[in-house]
Amino acid sequence: MFEKTLSDLIQGLRANKRNESEYIQRSLSEIQHEVQQSDMRQKSVAVDKLNYLHMLGYDMNWASFNVVEVMASSRFGEKRAGYLAAEQSFHQETDVLMLTTNLIRKDLASSNVMEISVALNGLAQVATADLAQDLLDDVLAAVGHSRPYIRKRALVCACRLVIKYPEGLREFVPLLKDRLDDADPTVVASAVGVICELAHTNPQNYLPLAPKLYRLLTTSSNTWMLIKIVKLFAWLTPIEPRLAKKLHGPLSHLVSTTAAMSLLYECINTAVVGGIIDVQLPAVDSVGREMDFAELCARKLQLFYESRDHNLRYVGLVTLAQFQRRRPELVAAHYGTVLRCLDDPDMSIRMRAIEAISGMTTRKTLVGTVKRLMSQLILSNTVALQQANAKSDTMDYSESSDTQAMPLVDASGTSMVTAQGSIVSQRSSAGPDVADNPEYRLAVVEAIISMCSHQTYTNLTDFEWYVATLTDLVYIAGADVDERLSERFLDVTVRVRQVRAFSLQMARRLLSDTHLVERAASFGGQKGNNALMLGTAAYLLGEYCELQPANSDDIHLLLPAGLTRLPEDQQGMFVLAAHKVYANWLRHASEYWNADTWEQVRSVTTQMQQLLSERILGSDILPGGTVASRMSLLPLQTSSRVRLLVESLKLVSVTTSNMTDTAPPVCLELNALFKAYELNPVSAAAQGKVPIPDTLDLDTFIGDVIPDTTAKVMPPPSPPPKQRAATATSRQRKESKAKDPYYLPSVDDIPVVEL
Amino acid sequence: MIRFILVQNRQGKTRLEKWYSNYSEHERNKLKAEVHRTVASRDQKHQSNFVEFHNHRIVYRRYAGLFFCFCIDTNDNELSLLEAIHLFVEVLDAYHGNVCELDLVFNFYWVYSVLDEMFLAGEIQETSRSVILSRMEQLSALE
Repeated sequence: MFEKTLSDLIQGLRANKRNESEYIQRSLSEIQHEVQQSDMRQKSVAVDKLNYLHMLGYDMNWASFNVVEVMASSRFGEKRAGYLAAEQSFHQETDVLMLTTNLIRKDLASSNVMEISVALNGLAQVATADLAQDLLDDVLAAVGHSRPYIRKRALVCACRLVIKYPEGLREFVPLLKDRLDDADPTVVASAVGVICELAHTNPQNYLPLAPKLYRLLTTSSNTWMLIKIVKLFAWLTPIEPRLAKKLHGPLSHLVSTTAAMSLLYECINTAVVGGIIDVQLPAVDSVGREMDFAELCARKLQLFYESRDHNLRYVGLVTLAQFQRRRPELVAAHYGTVLRCLDDPDMSIRMRAIEAISGMTTRKTLVGTVKRLMSQLILSNTVALQQANAKSDTMDYSESSDTQAMPLVDASGTSMVTAQGSIVSQRSSAGPDVADNPEYRLAVVEAIISMCSHQTYTNLTDFEWYVATLTDLVYIAGADVDERLSERFLDVTVRVRQVRAFSLQMARRLLSDTHLVERAASFGGQKGNNALMLGTAAYLLGEYCELQPANSDDIHLLLPAGLTRLPEDQQGMFVLAAHKVYANWLRHASEYWNADTWEQVRSVTTQMQQLLSERILGSDILPGGTVASRMSLLPLQTSSRVRLLVESLKLVSVTTSNMTDTAPPVCLELNALFKAYELNPVSAAAQGKVPIPDTLDLDTFIGDVIPDTTAKVMPPPSPPPKQRAATATSRQRKESKAKDPYYLPSVDDIPVVEL
Repeated sequence: MIRFILVQNRQGKTRLEKWYSNYSEHERNKLKAEVHRTVASRDQKHQSNFVEFHNHRIVYRRYAGLFFCFCIDTNDNELSLLEAIHLFVEVLDAYHGNVCELDLVFNFYWVYSVLDEMFLAGEIQETSRSVILSRMEQLSALE
């Protein structure tokens, strides 16, 4: 039978590009026939072809057994094809793996080096826990093979097996340690690699090897092995601090002299991660100058992140972020360089730079850095599109009008956009801007927030600027940071007394932005709106209303048109805040009571009543019905507060229905509902710190024992409902069984007819 | 350790795949598509060869129309792996003589042999070009 070879298959595929799947189906059926032939050569070719098709995505698990057959072939070429197919297609659950145990064992013991190596390879790929357990001994035997090639590969294979079958570690480790003394350097390198991998999870075991490793570190010149040893020491040094003193000598030698960037990087990384730079240690650099080891590392690290090569920059920044956490003073001078990396077109580099910067900001540099980050957000396409009124992108902000969108004013009154005008020209025009990536924007906003609130605002000198930044971020963030911003807004306003007045200004600005409110209302509970922020703004307006001259306009802000469509919590906040503001205004107005005031009070009260009935009780979500029924449709928190407000308004309007000489007492006293005295914020753990008094007894009755009158009316407490239901159903079942003609209660009742 | 190795062309067809971790078929296909999306859209001149991918990293290099992608753990040395990729391609080149994508397609089992020589169980095994080449010659003699 003229069967196709692998090349024929591939050529056929390429020739039949248009009807590819047809051709493949045909080939598959041919292959199906071929694998079942007894001729091994045919089988192996078929398996090869299957392997190729598997790479294109066609399943070949139905031929697993045939693959094992091919693996068992005595000809090396076929065996290899079989093993390759096994490596590609077998999974942990493939059941034919059990059949391979003896097969692999035979191959491992073979005299042909190639066979051993291919078996080791295959085993390392497909090993399951069972296979590992069965074959570990054979592989360990191979570790002592005469050929270094085999020893090398057996070590790595054994490593994989031991990961699957951890009990084998005990036998493996002594052999592994012996291999470190092996004559052949490649075997030693392999052993080091294996130790590195294993030490990641359990460094303690390999600490005794430190002297040997140290010797290798100082004597070897194989870069790859050195990298592994250095990495290994990074795992060991944290658990054995004395190593640091020993290591800095060879490490500094390597750092000053090596030409390989990868090795240099690894040394610096180890120095940072292993804590070697924490200690003051002497070192000598390439020109013979003496300096602190950490300083030497810092200097070399500079080569990385100042390099023009993006790869080096990336790895340099990764290590820098860690470096500055431990020894910030050494890298503080490079702040400017890292800042420049913020503008790199590569997003990974930018993210790393942000990470590094977040830890490096000081009081002086904070404002500049934040401005730079914000300008990135502003100047990105997301926001630029809405300014240019170009076709809308998918961001929601495109709906808001141009004039409302960019009210960016910082505390000193200069518009941020014009101040950063010079940066516009610097922005690279390479394709899609990194700053449009939502993940990136989120990271930027988080970084800004964390930089500013670092150690409860040690770096902030101007809180008003901070509050303005937070408000600006609401507009330009383009990411879901609502919760963070609102939390921060609240936090800073409550903590810092002096900034409260300014916060109120900002809060008022947010609430008067009808677009913002409308959007928050229309998106309801979805993400991307700013409901939380608005809720916080409302709360602050209500809470600190006496800081501002009493103003009844705020009330209109606090009862906006879309109130009922906001999320529940926010609705309650708005109503409560409206109540507070009203009460405050009322008290101030009532202090100078005359005819005008009376008019004012009446008009404002009626206005509020109107607003309430329109917006909350009469909105389209709550059609028809009585006030009470409509109110019951509101969420619980809101309805209770609305009820309170309605009652207060009724009370005031009743008492002011006639003109009086002095203010009715209620007008003056209403404020006492909220502002009898100032409450300071209380720590969350405060309640727990109150000691429970010894005399507290929560179990004895306080008054007379109230007789349980319900017992006479209802039947005595019956077994818990589930049991009751169970008895009921079992009773029902018994009844139904009795009635059922086909049900036989026991086996003996089956009538057996004697024929 | 290396999690997986993928060689894909610009259209996303996989020319070589080697999985050093356990992934189901479904996961593998998803990963292949994702890697292609991530890597193919990057600009060679302005961006680095390292991408963050889930909680691993992809080190990739583009040679003509092929992307060689290695997915590694975050604590591995990326620069050394970049060198390893280059070594791999050099070996393929020396072995096939001016290798192109078609060679990889037609002789994929040779490519896998070279790969297995150089990388075993997710670790770099052999870094000497001459050793690898002599090994390959031995193998071809056996065929």
